[in-house]
Amino acid sequence: MTPVFLFNVVMLSMIINVGLSLYGIFARPSLVKKIIALTIFSDTVNLLAVLIGFRYAEPNPIPPVLVSIPPRPEDVELFVAKAVDPVPQALVLTAIVIGLAVTLFLIFITTQIYRIYGTTDVRKIAKLRG
Amino acid sequence: MMRSYLHLVVITSLVLLTIGLGTAFTVGGISLYMPPLEVRSLAKIYLNTTFNTNFALSPLSPEAVTAIVWDYRGLDTLFETSVMFLAIVGALMIFRGLGERVPGPGSGGGGLSLIVKTVTRLTTIMIVAVGISIAFHGHLTPGGGFQGGATIAVAPMLMIIAFSVHFLAQRVPVKRAVLLRSAGLAAIAVTTYLVLLVALTRGGYAYIFQNQPKVGAPYGIPSYVGDATVLGGTLLLFNVAEMFAVAFGFVALLILITVPEAPAKEVVLKGED
Repeated sequence: MTPVFLFNVVMLSMIINVGLSLYGIFARPSLVKKIIALTIFSDTVNLLAVLIGFRYAEPNPIPPVLVSIPPRPEDVELFVAKAVDPVPQALVLTAIVIGLAVTLFLIFITTQIYRIYGTTDVRKIAKLRG
Repeated sequence: MMRSYLHLVVITSLVLLTIGLGTAFTVGGISLYMPPLEVRSLAKIYLNTTFNTNFALSPLSPEAVTAIVWDYRGLDTLFETSVMFLAIVGALMIFRGLGERVPGPGSGGGGLSLIVKTVTRLTTIMIVAVGISIAFHGHLTPGGGFQGGATIAVAPMLMIIAFSVHFLAQRVPVKRAVLLRSAGLAAIAVTTYLVLLVALTRGGYAYIFQNQPKVGAPYGIPSYVGDATVLGGTLLLFNVAEMFAVAFGFVALLILITVPEAPAKEVVLKGED
């Protein structure tokens, strides 16, 4: 169980996840299933973004939080040498909540379509007139 | 038959192309992945300056993620908040007129059994407490206004399921939730100009979205007092306001989306006046 093997298992599983969710978005006709696939896709991409910011450090990397206030110069030095990249985390943080709001918006549209036309099948919705 | 086969081939190749390109761009080529020993130089700049008393433009926040979200890239976060604002406004617009159609209490009192209700009463308080704690400690520990608000948004969902929509809508009507959410957004807007207002009262100038004293604008909200008390400057205010905006935005949406089918259809199918 080397770290290389374990990291690649994580990577491979996320790539498979992306494939499955893209298949769901493209090929499934139901709008509800498309939304579920979209949430899986966004979660996987978020995890991928956090993983890019990860670093390998012995014995372990630390989260980007300073613990001594106010820090001495050697604390900051150790912090830079050990902490993971905070930029992807900052992007993912907002992406999750905005993804939640956008997903709720999509669900609202789907509910409205179902209430008016009685179906969530995109093949039938595409044929509707007016 | 031939056509559906072609359809599948096109979709599969599109998916494979997207994955291949995405993987190549993110990990820099298709090979065995291993996290690097060093972070990128941009991350080093952020880590080095996030709490550095020797650096003139430091945001003085012990948490690098919050410093990036509300100080280095504060304007970006403001626009991201406006994306969420627009998504919620769009959803409210689609379901307009449904806020007043929340049904009254059913004949059986509504909701699940007494055990579930009691447990929900206890857990709701705990969830809200955890959410508030996440938001108030946003400048100290991993977390912040977005996460705190999203955590609090779980509580109304539980209340709707265990009690009823009526139960929640009686305490927090849709209009009040929208009002409180707007109050949160207004607090964010005021905090944006806070240091500028402080500077103007003292006869100086400051930047919009300023947190700590800058070169030429020596005004700011104190980041820490003494050796242990971290106030976080404007980051704390931003986090708390954002928590309000996110939590009450979701309360409004959750009430609207759980309005039962029959009264909702009545409103939808009647159309506009």
